[in-house]
Amino acid sequence: MISIENLTVRFGGVVALDHIGAEFSANVSGLIGPNGAGKTTTMNVISGFLDAHNGHVIVEGTDLVKLAPHKRVQWGLRRSFQKEQIANDLTVRENLMAITDHLRGARADKRADLERAAEFAGVTAILDKMGRDLNTFERRLTDVARCVIGHPKMIMFDEPAGGLTPEETERLGDLILGINDLTGAKVLVIDHDVELIERICAETLVLDFGKRVAFGPTSEVLRDPAVQAAYLGIEVEEEHA
Amino acid sequence: MRSTTNTIWAVFGLALILVLPAFAGGQWIKIFTSTTTFAMAAAGAGFLYTRLGMVSLVQVGLMGVGGWVTLRLNHAFNFPFEINLMVAGAVTMFLGNLIALPALRMRGLYLALITLMFAAGLDIVFTAKQFPNGAAGFWGVGTTFAADMRRPLLAQSDAAYLRYTMVWLVIGFVLIELHRRMAPGRAWALIRKSEAAALASGVNVTLYKTWAFGLSGLLAGLGGGLLAGSLGLLDSATFRASESVMLFALVIVGGARFWYGAVIAAVLFRVVPGLLNNWGVDADLSLVIFGAALLHAVMTAPDGLAGQINGAVRALIPGAKSDKKGAKA
Ligand SMILES: Nc1ncnc2c1ncn2[C@@H]1O[C@H](COP(=O)(O)OP(=O)(O)O)[C@@H](O)[C@H]1O
Ligand SMILES: [Mg+2]
Repeated sequence: MISIENLTVRFGGVVALDHIGAEFSANVSGLIGPNGAGKTTTMNVISGFLDAHNGHVIVEGTDLVKLAPHKRVQWGLRRSFQKEQIANDLTVRENLMAITDHLRGARADKRADLERAAEFAGVTAILDKMGRDLNTFERRLTDVARCVIGHPKMIMFDEPAGGLTPEETERLGDLILGINDLTGAKVLVIDHDVELIERICAETLVLDFGKRVAFGPTSEVLRDPAVQAAYLGIEVEEEHA
Repeated sequence: MRSTTNTIWAVFGLALILVLPAFAGGQWIKIFTSTTTFAMAAAGAGFLYTRLGMVSLVQVGLMGVGGWVTLRLNHAFNFPFEINLMVAGAVTMFLGNLIALPALRMRGLYLALITLMFAAGLDIVFTAKQFPNGAAGFWGVGTTFAADMRRPLLAQSDAAYLRYTMVWLVIGFVLIELHRRMAPGRAWALIRKSEAAALASGVNVTLYKTWAFGLSGLLAGLGGGLLAGSLGLLDSATFRASESVMLFALVIVGGARFWYGAVIAAVLFRVVPGLLNNWGVDADLSLVIFGAALLHAVMTAPDGLAGQINGAVRALIPGAKSDKKGAKA
């Protein structure tokens, strides 16, 4: 269970998140809303890149807001970014090792874990490829491998399907659906692709202008008139990459 | 393959260590020794720049600190040279850590300016206090004094000392390369990508930035200590803040992604002015030459001369694959 309580973030006078609350119990949950709704901001607070003005994020009894960002990763938080953040001058393997480096455990276990994560994400064949030589899909797959490595408890994907073809998006969706079986982690996905969200997310939170518009089972939420109203705008201002 | 290129470089380096000290005469031995010590500082600046994207304009200043500590210990106690050198390295490593503190909050131009301010501060202290020459007191400076500088037992002659310094430079390169291949190198690559990327991978950004500046400071301090061992006396003019800026510019010209870029930088820094002097040309002309070289590097050769050499070597050796990682920088 991921429980977000009363989360509030301000940038100067702007309230980017306004007392957001939701209890995600599904294995894969969605976070949607128009551009600038506060989705990425939510993930940034959970990651610890931004300080919450107020509120808590409690997962398995731990209040993440109280931990330093790198401690959250040690605890079991993983995330990908809207604009992927694979280090160009490292190989895929090194990008994965960069996470296990900071976790406890024996070297052999870490290596086995890395192989397993790579296998799952389908990047075994490109483990020795340099980050700069990866194409968009390979980057996304590497992101998935990064997220499932090292016994994660909670994983967040920020627009993972951005820039992917429909076939690639489908494959990515399947991968995300398999994460909980592999690791037991709860997954939170932001995406503009409502079809993808509908297919993989059992529960969804909808934000607009930093406020909670709706929360509940995805199919119900998407039928909500308030949600449909909020989404009218998105057709005209499609998200950048 | 990369190993071919690496083997060639290793053989070349070894040959240089054996041959150069044996054949270089009188004044040139000293110039090559000081070139080697500056190459250590340049390697530190270069690795900070390529691995973390951070600009340090205080390397030569830290060399001065390393030299000061080495001289100070030499004249105060009877420790072997290596002990003095290690303490000098430890002190500059610690100073590097201190300089990293603003680096935690600032980046880019602002960080570069902060390091330059450190360099200017050191400049002022060196000019006011000069370097210990064996006189009494903490600062240890006397006008007529010139006490003995003890050299390492292994390297009493100038030729042996040049060889000794070159071995230290190799140790420095190996140290950087080991870091690059292990956890710190991976953490630094992420920090360079973005701090968010690093944090999301569980990297303690504070720790690893501090570590990087410490390593860079260590190399500068060892270089300064070795320079002190070579010359016996140091002069504050050697460690002006402007020298740090110059060395950094030459690191860019030399090519920071490759280890031999640091060597090229140091050769330009020390040897070119010497050559111009020999030819009866004003050594300040080197500033003009370096300025032009910097423009050339910034505009057309982002990996510097080393990158161009690497390209040429690859073209000459069939099968030598692109050394994109900058395998030894
Ligand atoms: N670091 C920041 N400083 C100031 N304003 C920000 C910052 N990050 C996001 N915002 C603002 O907060 C709002 C929410 O942004 P974001 O969470 O990125 O939206 P999205 O739902 O598209 O991911 C936007 O109005 C954005 O301009
Ligand atoms: Mg966003």
